[in-house]
Amino acid sequence: MKSVPKLIGRFIGILFMSLLLLIILNVLVLSFISVKQLSNSSPYQTAEEIAVSLQKKDSGFKLDSNNQKWLQTNNIWAILIDEDTKTVTWQTDDLPETIPKSYSLSAISSLTSGYIDGYPTYTGASEGGIVVLGYPKKSYWKHIWPSWDYQFIADLPQTVFIVLIANLLLIVLIYYWVTSKLTKSIAPIVQGIQGLVTKNNVYVKEKGPLSELAMNINQTSQTLQSQERVLKKRETARANWIAGVSHDIRTPLSMVMGYAGQLESNPSLSLDEQHKVNIILRQSEKMKNLIKDLNLASKLEYNMQPINMEKINVAVLTRQVVVDFLNIKLDKDFPIKFEMRNNVHSSFVLADEGLMKRAITNLIQNAISHNEKGCHIFISVFTKQESCIVVVEDDGIGISDKQIEELNNAPHYMISDQSTMEQRHGLGLLLVKQITLSHNGEMKIGHSCYGGFSVTLEFPINNVN
Amino acid sequence: MSIEYLKKKRILLVDDEPKLLDMVVSILKENGFEYIYTAQKVEEAVVVAEEYLPELAILDVMLPDGDGFSLMKRLRKKGNYPILFLTARGEDEDKLDGLGLGADDYIVKPFLPKELIFRITAILKRSYKDDNPFVQLQNSKIDFERAEVIKDGEQILLTAKEHILLSILYRNAGRIITIDVLCKELWGDNYFGYENSLMAHISRVRQKIEKNPSQPVSLITVKGLGYKLLTEAN
Repeated sequence: MKSVPKLIGRFIGILFMSLLLLIILNVLVLSFISVKQLSNSSPYQTAEEIAVSLQKKDSGFKLDSNNQKWLQTNNIWAILIDEDTKTVTWQTDDLPETIPKSYSLSAISSLTSGYIDGYPTYTGASEGGIVVLGYPKKSYWKHIWPSWDYQFIADLPQTVFIVLIANLLLIVLIYYWVTSKLTKSIAPIVQGIQGLVTKNNVYVKEKGPLSELAMNINQTSQTLQSQERVLKKRETARANWIAGVSHDIRTPLSMVMGYAGQLESNPSLSLDEQHKVNIILRQSEKMKNLIKDLNLASKLEYNMQPINMEKINVAVLTRQVVVDFLNIKLDKDFPIKFEMRNNVHSSFVLADEGLMKRAITNLIQNAISHNEKGCHIFISVFTKQESCIVVVEDDGIGISDKQIEELNNAPHYMISDQSTMEQRHGLGLLLVKQITLSHNGEMKIGHSCYGGFSVTLEFPINNVN
Repeated sequence: MSIEYLKKKRILLVDDEPKLLDMVVSILKENGFEYIYTAQKVEEAVVVAEEYLPELAILDVMLPDGDGFSLMKRLRKKGNYPILFLTARGEDEDKLDGLGLGADDYIVKPFLPKELIFRITAILKRSYKDDNPFVQLQNSKIDFERAEVIKDGEQILLTAKEHILLSILYRNAGRIITIDVLCKELWGDNYFGYENSLMAHISRVRQKIEKNPSQPVSLITVKGLGYKLLTEAN
């Protein structure tokens, strides 16, 4: 919505600019015309010149041939009214019949300012009286009463200015009225479009000049909503399906693990048989972890996993995870060395305890799963600047640089279109990455200084109460 | 004190899957538990419970005619014995943790037999005291009721903190307990910085229970992680 007032402001700016330009243009054109009119030598001046050039000769008055010719070509007639008798004592040859031959004082006053029989007349003083030029009808329009109140002329600049301002104001008001009306009809459209962006259900009243646009927005919103519903339904179905499958696998797997666990401690088994039972146990354990990971990953993916953030001491949590491992697994092939550094014991991280435990468990499990022949596992927790860091590494077989590169840049396992084999290989690790990201953390995979594989998790410290 | 007395406890086992029931029964029997009663439905379980008065119930969360939680409520009306849940769904962990339904523990399927046995014995140990008050260690025995250790026929008194320390370790005998858990039990939530005090208490306990405190055989240090107590039963 912020952009609409900006748009209006811009339009008003443009309007003012155009008005200003228009005024300047008008003034220019006006002054140009005026100058042109002035240079056009006014008829008054001509009359004066003709009067002067009218010479009194013995035989009467005589106009020089040049002026006579000029008058003829311009279709102008001329008369001389005698000073004393007020009668016409000289005239041009083309004087119309309707022009009187004698004049009263009032008639002279009238013709000075106006017309004789529709001919605009102009006067000039001559030796024997006044010369009157009669221009063709409709060649000039005369201002008969050209007098104004003195104050009016004195105040003219202000008056012009006020009128100009009033005009401008009127124009702006009209513009504002028109735009505000337009804005009113645009506002719901803009709101509607914003609603579409946030995927809200949008309804814009289909009224006014933009009703068609409103209708389109409503249709788009409906389409988006139904798509959203279908998508959600599909996502829920998929997550539920995974949850269902993992649930159904758990009970039969319980029996496999249960009986295999019993057999493991059966002293009457031969060494070879014990070895086989051990493999069954280990593989069922892997299946168990896979089910757990798959279920959690799908729930995280579809936001079906509630994340309960609270202040967690990562050092304490990691130590508990390690101990839980040692207590249950009792794997002699995988001794774990745990270390805490840099006062990490008094540093807290905002995290979901369950997910955090899961991430670290997965890393330890990962080291065990990928080193069939056993390895040492080194776990260290420490602080570095504003971060709490957990490193899980081993001295096992490790992986190649290329694999590290692939794992660090692996796409989300659900998006990946690589072969399913590779995806499955990294499910546990990718789940850790997913958990780490949901805690605003970072995960890095690399070589361990002990020779094997190393995963570093980094979380922002939050010691605020 | 051996855990033999715990094996005489009556256990009610409820799961709708008969094969799983058979397996759990066989695990329990193999580990010495003698009195096991099974049911596959809520109603059946209520009848069996009324007849045999179990001292521990192990319930599946999903049952054909109801769920384990409501069954627990019905069972609790008749007797206040510990209840352990078996669940096949990961999300039940949250339910059991968060709702505080009063279950004593839960195990998510699938599980290893030793895990199940450990949980059962831990719950039973917490809930039922032994008539025989002694816990036998390699070089001494602990009498928790009198808060004393008997070593070479000599009675040595335990302080309150030492008693708490040994109790937690004994309840989890054979398993590592982290430094954090021990400190929290001894000094409450704000236990940070008590690690050295804990070490001092541990060394005093060793003086009392070990033959050679510098080379402990019963109270073992697991470096950087915690401690564990080994009894003769382990």
